[in-house]
Amino acid sequence: MKVLVANRGEIACRILRTLKEMAVPSVAVFTEPDENAPHVHLADEALPLGKADRYLSPDALVDAARRSGATAVHPGYGFLSQSAAFVRACEAAGLIFIGPGAESMEMLGDKRASRAAATRLGIPLVPGAQEADVLAAAKESAEKLGYPVLLKAAGGGGGRGMRLVRGRDELPEAHEAARREAKASFADDRLILEKYISPARHVEVQILGNGRDVVALGERECSLQRRYQKVIEEAPAARISAETRRAMGEAAARLGREARYRSAGTVEFLVAADGSFYFLEVNTRLQVEHPVTELISGMDLVKAQVEIAQGGALPEPVAPRGHAIEARLNAEDPYRGFLPQSGPILMLHWPQRPGVRIDSGIQEGQEVSSNYDSLLAKIIAWGADRESARRRLVETLREITLLGIRTNQSFLLQLLESDEFRKGDTFTTTLEAREWPEPPLPEEILSAARRWISSRPAPQNGAVSAPTPWESLGGFRVGL
Amino acid sequence: MSWIEVVVAGVKSRAAVVRARDGVWISWQGMTRFVGPERSSPVEQAAADREVRAPMTGRVIKVATTPGTAVHRGDVLVVLEAMKMEYRLVSPRDGSVGSLGCKEGDRVDLGQVLVTLAS
Repeated sequence: MKVLVANRGEIACRILRTLKEMAVPSVAVFTEPDENAPHVHLADEALPLGKADRYLSPDALVDAARRSGATAVHPGYGFLSQSAAFVRACEAAGLIFIGPGAESMEMLGDKRASRAAATRLGIPLVPGAQEADVLAAAKESAEKLGYPVLLKAAGGGGGRGMRLVRGRDELPEAHEAARREAKASFADDRLILEKYISPARHVEVQILGNGRDVVALGERECSLQRRYQKVIEEAPAARISAETRRAMGEAAARLGREARYRSAGTVEFLVAADGSFYFLEVNTRLQVEHPVTELISGMDLVKAQVEIAQGGALPEPVAPRGHAIEARLNAEDPYRGFLPQSGPILMLHWPQRPGVRIDSGIQEGQEVSSNYDSLLAKIIAWGADRESARRRLVETLREITLLGIRTNQSFLLQLLESDEFRKGDTFTTTLEAREWPEPPLPEEILSAARRWISSRPAPQNGAVSAPTPWESLGGFRVGL
Repeated sequence: MSWIEVVVAGVKSRAAVVRARDGVWISWQGMTRFVGPERSSPVEQAAADREVRAPMTGRVIKVATTPGTAVHRGDVLVVLEAMKMEYRLVSPRDGSVGSLGCKEGDRVDLGQVLVTLAS
């Protein structure tokens, strides 16, 4: 087997490293802005795709696979990872797609189809409407369910094409924006509508299948979200009962078996305050937060995916050990509407610490471009218990040095140090329930910086890019 | 780039610094700032009140106003998209729209003036 990794950033790096360990030959692909990105250098060979949007081109990827002699494709997450059309394009070209088959992807990856499957199996789901593409239909369903409601893209996840609608006045604009965003992200502007359940925890179950049998490998909690994108994830869930855990795992495996699921997938649930749970959706791919499951199980999920694709057996589920927490380091400004930031990474230092794993897709000198997702790296800490994992993650984040662009580093520290997180009082509404003001730097630090500037000449024009203009911009406000 | 020693509340610690064109980035205990020369002169403040600028590089997917339209503080003027997410830029104050510096479909650069408000 020779595997082409159809992705970029931290996930391409992470997959390529496992392939190297398995002595499986690998191929990277890269676009013009990514010519010198880290993933390019981790593969045995690398092929150019062309323009920035080519990670989304099935033709360009299949062609690259053919030219390199690759026999299999790993899609990572995002981009084409949940496109059944891409699975078929790979298979038509004689390539093994390392992921579920096109039919299982259609049954579980599409929100409408997966809700229908869950209903057939008697798995509880959030009350909602399957058809909300047309504003009038969405309005009628929303009135029936009662506000607030959530509009969601039927064809994809990751918070794209999702809008909370608190009342009927907000519906027209939210509907239009959700459709536009869904179309831009997934080339599919179908929407569904759900009753908004709050407070609730977001808990998801990792499944692994071989096309016949499916095992559940424990849950992750990802309640801390902003704009429906996860920020902090952990395994096991902070506070759910053994009975809820067992019942969710069993429901997830049943859903997987129904779809004859192959490879890694995730079944997402909302857990209400009383422990009742509701099926949300299935992510038919490896997820961003898979490392927390790996740290408490000792498994390598990418290795398991490759072995399954080679016809190997399903791994036996193992008893989890300890606790793992992941923080997503993003190029965004958490204190000004989470606006994505682009610019050069002028200095980068990752600390090392027992029990800590850093999955990064960046290097010093690299330009962070606005073409792609803002995720820079994932910092994951393991501990014998939740508090040990939390403290390890906090100390690691304090030591990380990343200069040149704004990131959410100090915001991650605020979250991990908050009373809510320490106590495990984590709900999908926790982030928006209060303000998270930017922590002030001591005056001693600021004056040290000013003294240091005055002792140094400025670099030559063009040596480094200008910083973000936040310091001099002011004036505009972002409505969120 | 380098590490400098700083004393905060009597305790010695280390900060990382790197020079950028018109200032310095500094990182200490997980907190990072760009420290530039003194700024926000009254002239710049007045400009900031008149202009809505692109807070990031991106694509204009919607221009929600036209020149001469009366707007209130908080009204959406322009919707930008970057990294497949939408961001709404709103009016910083009550007033009317003077001129537009972009149209739907444009790629705009960080700092570009998108809307000018009339006084």
